[in-house]
Amino acid sequence: MGFLDILLGRSKPTRSRREAIFSITTAEVSLQTRFGILPSGRAAVSFKPVEASFFVNMDSEIRELLRISARSTATKYEIKDDGYGYRWVILEDRDFEDLVSIIHLVGETIADNGYEQQLLAAVFGFKEGGKDIYWIYNYKRGRFYPFVPEGQQRRDSATELRLRAVIEKEMPIEPSLERWYALWGIPF
Amino acid sequence: MTRREIRADTELTLRMFFTWFLLAGVYAAFVALLFWAGVNFIGIAIVAALLLGVQFFFSDRLVVWSTRAKEVSAQEEPHLHATVERLAAAANLPKPKVYVMNADIPNAFATGRNPKNSLIAVTRGLMRRLDQPELEAVLAHELTHVKNRDVLVLTLASFFATIAAFLMRMFFWSSLFGGFGGGSGDRRGGGQAAAMFMVVWIGTIVIYFLAQLLIMALSRYREYAADRGGAILTGAPSQLASALMKISGSIARIPDKDLREVASANAFFIIPAIKGGDIVNLFATHPPVEKRIERLRLMQRQLEGL
Repeated sequence: MGFLDILLGRSKPTRSRREAIFSITTAEVSLQTRFGILPSGRAAVSFKPVEASFFVNMDSEIRELLRISARSTATKYEIKDDGYGYRWVILEDRDFEDLVSIIHLVGETIADNGYEQQLLAAVFGFKEGGKDIYWIYNYKRGRFYPFVPEGQQRRDSATELRLRAVIEKEMPIEPSLERWYALWGIPF
Repeated sequence: MTRREIRADTELTLRMFFTWFLLAGVYAAFVALLFWAGVNFIGIAIVAALLLGVQFFFSDRLVVWSTRAKEVSAQEEPHLHATVERLAAAANLPKPKVYVMNADIPNAFATGRNPKNSLIAVTRGLMRRLDQPELEAVLAHELTHVKNRDVLVLTLASFFATIAAFLMRMFFWSSLFGGFGGGSGDRRGGGQAAAMFMVVWIGTIVIYFLAQLLIMALSRYREYAADRGGAILTGAPSQLASALMKISGSIARIPDKDLREVASANAFFIIPAIKGGDIVNLFATHPPVEKRIERLRLMQRQLEGL
């Protein structure tokens, strides 16, 4: 916000940056081939539903879109609401590129309906050994960061920092650690 | 591309602009008055700047100290933390520290010199009375205070008013101990000096009250702005309206004694803890709840595309 915006207390919705999300496709290849970190086959978009009647129409548009793409790419989908009032579109597909493109498509549909500021994050599931690893794409920043939950409200920061170190040349990583927001209760 | 979103509030922007304009005018008149009377206020200005600087820099600790709020960890309050964290991500702000006050009055505040050093506090009573979407709406309102830098803004706005307050006290004491300029000189000169002293004194008092009036107006406009920003953040103006109704409804039932305990941090609370009764609205830090709910209703209509 500029000085005048601060003096006048004007808040504008933070626009989303959606294009950098594709960089995870190349990162996925090196995570898999060089570090043995495999995609779990699941990914999701999380957004905050607006309490307005029109939002319901968009919801059915997204469902329709998922039905169509599920037919051509064999992607399974599920829509869930979490305990914090966020809606999750959860996708399941062995083909990572399909996952990324459908995630992007859902984001675009939401933006085309004029709700881009409602987009919170896209989450990509990975596994290293038995451990769940998530790469979170923050739409407000247009950057990725790792999230490795470890039991109740604990993060495995060492693993997260290592993940950043191995992949930071291949996708835009959030530079400030304080913006590595936790997302507890990822529903997949 | 369709846009069904909360539109810019031009009226609010203009009101705030006009208030700043008037405040600058009042302050300019104050400085002119002091120059005219030859009052050397550089020393006082430095003291006022230091005092406000300390107040600003330690704003988080001061309010925490006066309200006895306690920081809670994510393990203690996982749900509250997760709600704040998601809102911070949505607002593109660092996650503020989370505090809880052991009071039954439903209330919340946010403070801190900048977003990196900010904190959000809620009372147990608030968490008990509100459901999740309402609690989220209140937290989003508080987070907007952080985003709008309200602590900084109100500190800046009160700089000259603080100088005026110091001068008023000084004039009072010097009038008790035989004045300004001392007793030397002839009678006419002394009379003139005394008249001038009275003019500056009364002028300072007038300026102080005008400035307070404008600062309070500004504070009320910041509340509207925070309501608006919070509604943009959650996409649910009606949830904030419902939370405000619940909070203000229960405020009236709470005994006075508890109210005074939290009264010192009033400007930062979502609803002031003192029930004004007849305190003139002009001096209120918060706008009346009905007016806030009315504005939230308009925002809800905009979201519906009406």
